[in-house]
Amino acid sequence: MDDDSSSYLRRRRFLATGAAALSGALAGCNGLPGGSSGGGGGDGSGTITLSSFRGSGPLVEGRASLSGTRIADLPDLSGELTVYLGGGEGGLYRELLSMFSQLYPDFTVRPREGGTAQLANTIIEEGENSPADVFWAVDAGSLGAVAEADMATTLSSDVVESVPQEFHPTDQWVGTAGRARSVPYNTNELSASDIPDTVMDFPDTPALQGAMGWAPTYGAFQAFVTAMRLIEGESATRQWLQSMLDSGVTEYPDEFLTSNAVADGEISAGFANHYYALRVRSARTDAPLDLAFTSGDAGALINVAGAAVIQGTDQQELAENFVRHLLTVEAQEFFATRTFAYPMIPGVPPVGGLPSIDELNPPSIDLQELSNVEPTLQLMRDVGVL
Amino acid sequence: MSREGSDIVAAVDGLRERIGWPGRYESHPLVTAAAILVAVTVISPLLWLGLRAAAVGPSEALSILTAPSTVQVFTNSLALVASVTALSVALGVPLAVLTVLTDLPFRRFWTVVLALPLVVPSYLGAFAFVSAFGPHGTLAELLSPLGVTIPTIYGFQGATLVLALFVYPYVFLTTRASLLSFDSKQLEAAQTLNHDFRSAFRRIVLPQIAPGVTAGALLVAFYALSDFGTPAIMHFDTFTRVIYVQYNNFGRGTASLLSIQLLAVTALVLFLESRFGSGTGSGYGGGVTKTDSTVTSLGWAKAPALLFCTAVVALTLVVPVAIFGMWLLRSGPGYAGGGFAFEWSFAINSVYVAAIAAAATGLAALPIAYVSARSNSPLARLLDRSTYVGYAVPGIVLGLALVFLGANYLPWLYQTLPLLVFAYVVRFLPQAVGATHSSVLQVDSELLGAARTLGETPQGAFRRVTLPLIAPGLVAGAALVFLTTMKELPATLILHPTGFTTLVTYIWRVQEAGYYGRAALPALVLVAVSALSMILLLRQEGDNA
Repeated sequence: MDDDSSSYLRRRRFLATGAAALSGALAGCNGLPGGSSGGGGGDGSGTITLSSFRGSGPLVEGRASLSGTRIADLPDLSGELTVYLGGGEGGLYRELLSMFSQLYPDFTVRPREGGTAQLANTIIEEGENSPADVFWAVDAGSLGAVAEADMATTLSSDVVESVPQEFHPTDQWVGTAGRARSVPYNTNELSASDIPDTVMDFPDTPALQGAMGWAPTYGAFQAFVTAMRLIEGESATRQWLQSMLDSGVTEYPDEFLTSNAVADGEISAGFANHYYALRVRSARTDAPLDLAFTSGDAGALINVAGAAVIQGTDQQELAENFVRHLLTVEAQEFFATRTFAYPMIPGVPPVGGLPSIDELNPPSIDLQELSNVEPTLQLMRDVGVL
Repeated sequence: MSREGSDIVAAVDGLRERIGWPGRYESHPLVTAAAILVAVTVISPLLWLGLRAAAVGPSEALSILTAPSTVQVFTNSLALVASVTALSVALGVPLAVLTVLTDLPFRRFWTVVLALPLVVPSYLGAFAFVSAFGPHGTLAELLSPLGVTIPTIYGFQGATLVLALFVYPYVFLTTRASLLSFDSKQLEAAQTLNHDFRSAFRRIVLPQIAPGVTAGALLVAFYALSDFGTPAIMHFDTFTRVIYVQYNNFGRGTASLLSIQLLAVTALVLFLESRFGSGTGSGYGGGVTKTDSTVTSLGWAKAPALLFCTAVVALTLVVPVAIFGMWLLRSGPGYAGGGFAFEWSFAINSVYVAAIAAAATGLAALPIAYVSARSNSPLARLLDRSTYVGYAVPGIVLGLALVFLGANYLPWLYQTLPLLVFAYVVRFLPQAVGATHSSVLQVDSELLGAARTLGETPQGAFRRVTLPLIAPGLVAGAALVFLTTMKELPATLILHPTGFTTLVTYIWRVQEAGYYGRAALPALVLVAVSALSMILLLRQEGDNA
């Protein structure tokens, strides 16, 4: 359906010669141009370069030079792979998949899209008969659920080594892009100093009374409450949810709409993953919208999109090589500049004036425990949030 | 009793006799066996629910089912079902009467456009309503300079309004079908006997169309019970919303328990309907034996009637199409998303799978409709009612049940079109049964007897007499299944063959990612394609009229 263009075959050929030319130079040197010049090395026209992976727009300007493993350093992808693709970024991830198919004419990928948890549930129900080779999902909890059901194989250490340890806790999956919890706020209504440094203080902050929005049915929000439960305990979390309700929080169906409502001034601030605000700002450059981050608590959780190789696949080698490709400079630049996510490898910085991932102060919890949402839902139901 | 009164009663009895009041002609045992087979097959996936629910311990199960929030959700769901059904009847019946029995100008046009809201998926309708009437919606922005604030669209009222506006056509269509098959000479007679229209309507028409209204109301009630999108978008907690949240968070046990509770509600509604309802179902079907309709003059009521129709059409068609159109023209959020590119093949896939589902469901409905129309025995009623079970189950529950059964026991069927089509049959069978049922009722068994006397085999008599007579009902039922399949989302998302994108899975994908603008074109295509089939459906009705 997507691999329709034969004109891209030339690009594949270039990459092969490019790889050969580069074989002397080690990864990280000037293999592909990292600046904004955009031109490819070698023969020039009709090539896939870093800029093909890079997005455009006001948020993507003046990118520093990048380092890390490049596509040219990896073996070719070849064969057919079924990838279960979970979550809202599906469409954008699909685009990366089709770029891979264009690069490698012998590589066919069959993406199957659905909600993250729904696909995780599907894989678990399918059991050993699952047609999936790779599960690529936008939430560590879903990956954790699949891993706990013994449906994920352990990845080789060379696949995961470039990613910080907390984003591959058991090596049954590895983070491919980060999604930070954040507080989008309306700059006409509030200033950064109005946003408390700890999320537990929100219900008692006068400036936020009746002015906050959240999306409790949204998976990322539930992961956030799960983290709070793990860090602060059940009763403090219950108390926090109740106080937020008492303070007149407004409910939205998802966090994009929450962020939009902040930009509209319908509410002054909200709870949302960081990239929604960037997406709003990318579309409406004059939107009075900025991001605040809390520190060291559930409000600063960094969840990840990640990939797992499914138990029982007959494409183990191809699947692992595919996951390696997701961690190349090119793919990471794609995630950073097109989905506004946090890159997972240190050599690629985030966009949009975001603090770098090591400037954030996420809580130290095992992301995999985020799959234990059941007690969270119980709590949210008890309080009347769900 | 006055002479006029007894005349009317006799006429009514004659009519009841003529439409084949049950009990006279039982079905062939083979047909009954086929009906039982279909019923058991469509209920079988739900056994999985029991398996899942059994994995939850009894004490935990009890605490989940009696938790205050569960009770709240239970009450919310029942309230929503009751209000949506009541509002749908309040809209559907008068509109059906206007378009069948009165001299409303442009009746043909109104019939088509008043049936059309059925082709707008209610979740898209809800999105459109939130965009138009929500806080900071188009209308709010227009009115705020004038100092006018509009009441909130969210919550119970909003969910009721949106659901009723997009599902009342079930009542409209089934009521029309009953009115069309109603012998208007009765009404004529009553009116010549000095009954005014209202009293004649109450005494003659209403008892005759009650089964049709009930059939439509049942479809509406179970739609409201199983729809996820609208309550979620309108911020109103119902069973489906909670079940959906559970399924999305690995609470499969809890979700199954809640689904079983939902099924218990379904059973209760069906039981109540069979106790207090009219006893015999009717559905949307061709008015095969209809004579020329007698048109009642609206007189001074013509203008209010036109206004009423216009208001309904404005809310159900103009608002969504205008909002989708606005999304289409307005530039979406900035991104270069080749991965989201719309392809016409999505529309072709939708039509293809919906057509297969329509044919398969029509075939599966035939034996059940036949048995239930020919007999009023407990078995026949049980068979008829059992088809509603799959209709009331949320699509996500049915989808995962079929994943479990498919991947583990039928791997050659898993993620293939046949399994997806099977899911549609389970979901939409009662629509086809209802429509076929009403045309089976109209087959005069004496005609069959005559065919047999003239030397036809039972098969020959079926082919040459029964089939042509029930074809309109079959086609109407299949068309209704086609429409609802086109817009079905959750089961499609879970069971589609890999790489098989339909209009709604594409709409879901872009909507999930927050790119509403990208949903506009496929939404308009969905509405347009469905509208074409709706026109065919009504033309079918017209040809029989």
